[in-house]
Amino acid sequence: MQVDKETYLLLLLSDANLPTGSFVASAGLESTAAHALFHVPATPPGSDTLPFSETHTLPFARDAHRVTTAYASGEMTELDEALQALSRLDALYDASTLNHVARRASCAQGAALLTLYARGFTRPPFLMLKTPTTYLPLLDERENRAGALVAALKLRVRRGDSDAPGHLPICWGVLAGALGLTVDRGAYIHLFLHARGVLSAAIRMNALGPYAAQQLLLHAVKHMVDDALTSSAHVVSGALQDEIDPEHAEDRLPATTWPLGDLLAARHDLLHSRIFNS
Amino acid sequence: MSNATVVLDAGDGNITARIHNNHVVFPVLSYTYPLKLLSPRIQQDGVAVVYMMTYGGGLVGGDRISLSINVEQDAQLVLLSQGSTKVFKARSGVRAAARSTARPPDSTTMQRLDVSIAAGGALFLLPDPVTCFRNASYRQAQTFRLAHGASAALLDWYTSGRRARGEEWAFARYYSVNEVFVSSVRSARDVVLLEAMGTESASDVCGEFLPRRTLADRMGPYSCYATLLLYGPLVQGVIRELEDRVQKITVFQVREPLDVLWSLSPVSGQTNGRIVRVAGKETEEVKKWLSDALRGGLVSVIGDEVYSKTFI
Repeated sequence: MQVDKETYLLLLLSDANLPTGSFVASAGLESTAAHALFHVPATPPGSDTLPFSETHTLPFARDAHRVTTAYASGEMTELDEALQALSRLDALYDASTLNHVARRASCAQGAALLTLYARGFTRPPFLMLKTPTTYLPLLDERENRAGALVAALKLRVRRGDSDAPGHLPICWGVLAGALGLTVDRGAYIHLFLHARGVLSAAIRMNALGPYAAQQLLLHAVKHMVDDALTSSAHVVSGALQDEIDPEHAEDRLPATTWPLGDLLAARHDLLHSRIFNS
Repeated sequence: MSNATVVLDAGDGNITARIHNNHVVFPVLSYTYPLKLLSPRIQQDGVAVVYMMTYGGGLVGGDRISLSINVEQDAQLVLLSQGSTKVFKARSGVRAAARSTARPPDSTTMQRLDVSIAAGGALFLLPDPVTCFRNASYRQAQTFRLAHGASAALLDWYTSGRRARGEEWAFARYYSVNEVFVSSVRSARDVVLLEAMGTESASDVCGEFLPRRTLADRMGPYSCYATLLLYGPLVQGVIRELEDRVQKITVFQVREPLDVLWSLSPVSGQTNGRIVRVAGKETEEVKKWLSDALRGGLVSVIGDEVYSKTFI
């Protein structure tokens, strides 16, 4: 059986053991449950909610992905130009995420993704010697440029540069772009991994059983992800486009659709006992 | 600056607040129907109050209010309303407050606020909440530009509707954008979109396993949500009190949702700004919470007389 590169990458990226830093993040679920606002779906089918409001991050991930692809392919020539575009996205995401717990979790996971690419997805030196020389120039150029961008961003984030907070959607877009995924595929996996992460947190909180979680993943999450992708298709981050006048934004700006979730997440640090960082 | 005549569109308003001999004066205070602005005389020096009102106490689909405010150096302005802003659903026909007929009729109610605050100046925006009635569609855009050294306490809140009529998040749409710039750098952008769920969606296909389908499900059990942004030297007292309060909170697992929930977060960046979020099962409880939480810090800035006009 021959598998194309993108499918193979999907297998790698959906590995539950992939070090993405999401293990300690519950996406506000722990706080939601502590405040008696998490209603577990009964089995068999009964009630409701799965807190799931990631659509406002997608435009940022997509834009960061496009910047990365443009730089890696050589379409955008200067590294500085790419870094500045990413910095604008990062700053806007920072200003749009008004709850400090979510910002903290986002930066921690973003940094983890950059490290993941740098240490888990780049080609190790000993393998380069065995690459057929006819492929070497093409592969190296794109991979080199992608690697350089990730390294430069990672350095800025590590240094604590004020213009490089290194938020999760931006770093995800950079990772997906560096790996050569399409923008749509990158967005899809981002949503899937988020949904799966929330379910995984629910299992560890003993709020959901592992089998029930699998049922949700197969029968419910797919529709939710599809829904989220189509409903956010027209939304732009606003960082790389011309300044959007809020009155005439026609709802193209990323928006919060679950304000209660934001409030609950911001109260995470007030929980008396907690097993997650956020 | 010359006092050129400006042609105002329906629902437009302009305020310039300036300090003159330790009193706040209004070189500009203009408004057109359905907006009305009123400034009562008060004893306290250095601060002025303006009430923003709409004729009939409510807005209908197609209405547009656009208010521009300029708070000059060292002036302090308190902006209040008289009662909750009620937003009715669209009615057919042309409204007096509707914009030029060249534009297609719009069933959305729009409110726009553009503010600039100079160094040493302060705006205390403490209106009543917005209440959208069944099937109403509402949109607001509020932009605040603060100079370095300017202060602001910006309250933006909304309720679930007329509960006595069984309206619990029964409006069609609520869309709000709040943006704050400090020294021309964007510090915060808060965008909220609340929509009654459409009839056609993947959720219908999958039924029970999916997230709640109604707005009431997502917002409940709370019926009032508030956001308060705090910036600048004159609100540091308020911030300190809130930080003391939050230190005292420990959340143990509860069986029932709390009546009032609130959070305090720093705004990122160099501005030392804060954002407070509050949700309550009853609007009156949120009002009481806000009134108590802000009293200590604000009375020392704007005085008792002015503070007593807030949160009525």
